[in-house]
Amino acid sequence: MEGVQLVLFWLSLAAYGAEAGFRLGGVAPSSIWKAPLFAGVLLHAAFLGLRWGLSRHAPMSGLFESLTVFSFCCALAGLLLCGTEETEAAWKPLSVLVLLPQAAAAFLDKRLTPLYPALDTPWFASHVGLSFLGYGFFSAGLALAVVYLRSGGAAVYRAAGMSALYGFSAFSAGMVCGGIWAYYSWGSYWIWTPKEIWSVIVWVYFAALTHLKFIPPQAGWPGWGERLEMGATAAGYVVVLLTFLGVSLLLRSSHSF
Amino acid sequence: MKTFWRLLTSCKTCAALGLAFCLAGAVGSVATGRFPELFSDMDAMIFARWFARKGWIAPGATLWLYGLLLATGLLAVNAACCTAERLVQIFRGAVTLRRLLPHVMHMAFLGVILSHLASALYGDRIPGVTVPQGGVAPVGNKGWALRLERFDAKMGPDWYPRDASATVTLFRDRNPMARGVVRTNEPLFHEGYGIYLKDFGTTPGGVPFVVFDANRDPGASAILVASLVFTAANILYLIPSRRDDA
Repeated sequence: MEGVQLVLFWLSLAAYGAEAGFRLGGVAPSSIWKAPLFAGVLLHAAFLGLRWGLSRHAPMSGLFESLTVFSFCCALAGLLLCGTEETEAAWKPLSVLVLLPQAAAAFLDKRLTPLYPALDTPWFASHVGLSFLGYGFFSAGLALAVVYLRSGGAAVYRAAGMSALYGFSAFSAGMVCGGIWAYYSWGSYWIWTPKEIWSVIVWVYFAALTHLKFIPPQAGWPGWGERLEMGATAAGYVVVLLTFLGVSLLLRSSHSF
Repeated sequence: MKTFWRLLTSCKTCAALGLAFCLAGAVGSVATGRFPELFSDMDAMIFARWFARKGWIAPGATLWLYGLLLATGLLAVNAACCTAERLVQIFRGAVTLRRLLPHVMHMAFLGVILSHLASALYGDRIPGVTVPQGGVAPVGNKGWALRLERFDAKMGPDWYPRDASATVTLFRDRNPMARGVVRTNEPLFHEGYGIYLKDFGTTPGGVPFVVFDANRDPGASAILVASLVFTAANILYLIPSRRDDA
């Protein structure tokens, strides 16, 4: 069965690659539900489910599993937010954002590993899963913001706003689960590690972002308008990447990925 | 005065403070690793004690922390003022759950901040209580002693730890107060303190030993309640917004 789950991984990667190739080549399917990406998501879900069963823990530990779950959550968020004709254009950048983490994961060690005792708790799956779901929504937000900045559109603007709100909600719930877990594991909801600090940076950044639309455009300095809000939505992806990969790869932290 | 109040309740203030928080935090994430002599023991004691000892000895290296604390405090003031103003407006007009929910989230956020403040001022941290199997060690200056009755560790292939459990008894003046099994993620709670298994090993004589931390976090329950209220309000807020967009 270990071989089967790897076949599912490679097939989902191929489907994501085909989707990105078609989109970048200017070929769009009649509906996202008939696109290679949708088939990729189904294969990817089967891969994650099978891996979960084989390893007997949520497939979210280590860089390989983190990257593939990140890719899956990006695709899932896209299916939820970019399913209409008006938001269809966001699939061009989003298909690349789905493909990249999955392609990067392909280069890494894919062996099943036992879970470290501290991670062997239901809070692990809920904390990491909800955080990655948030990351997925923020990635969809980048794609939608890019489309809005290039061609505008009320539906795209609304979907980008929802990406920030849904992402913030999922990420907040993930932080609550992480806090409860930390209390039972370390005896404190908070410790001063770079990963913890950056997690709160992501939370505060997107909390502030969800407030921007309440600033009237005519209010003057700093001249918030829809375009600036979309720019901030796009920039949020950089904050997410720094938190997910930057901190783990560049700074020392008791958190890994 | 009116201009000052507008500044306190403004979403622009929230955005500016959020940005300041992010910048200060980003600097801090690097500084904590760059100056280990200052920051490495931040988690070994409550924040107020650490700040009293080290918060002022190197202002250049801890400048980000002042910024972070100031931004957090001002964000709390901004949320409180915004909610106070909007609640007056809401209760003068049509009161709907949809209009109240963001302010429930604001109040829950304030609850979390104030509870963390309580823990940072009135909590306690006793790190590194090392006890050999069959031995006893004092727990800080509390007049407590911890006895390690038995330690079991399950190791996987390549000596990878799979599970560790310590059966302990907590004494005061030689009288047992609490007995239980401490595991990773499963502390023993007594009189507001949690006894946590942090590390284990074997002495040169071959006797197993366990390192425990004893922590008291008086704001913990309030943080949990406020976080759950925040999450519930957040989820409820998403439901009508879906209907709006349908």
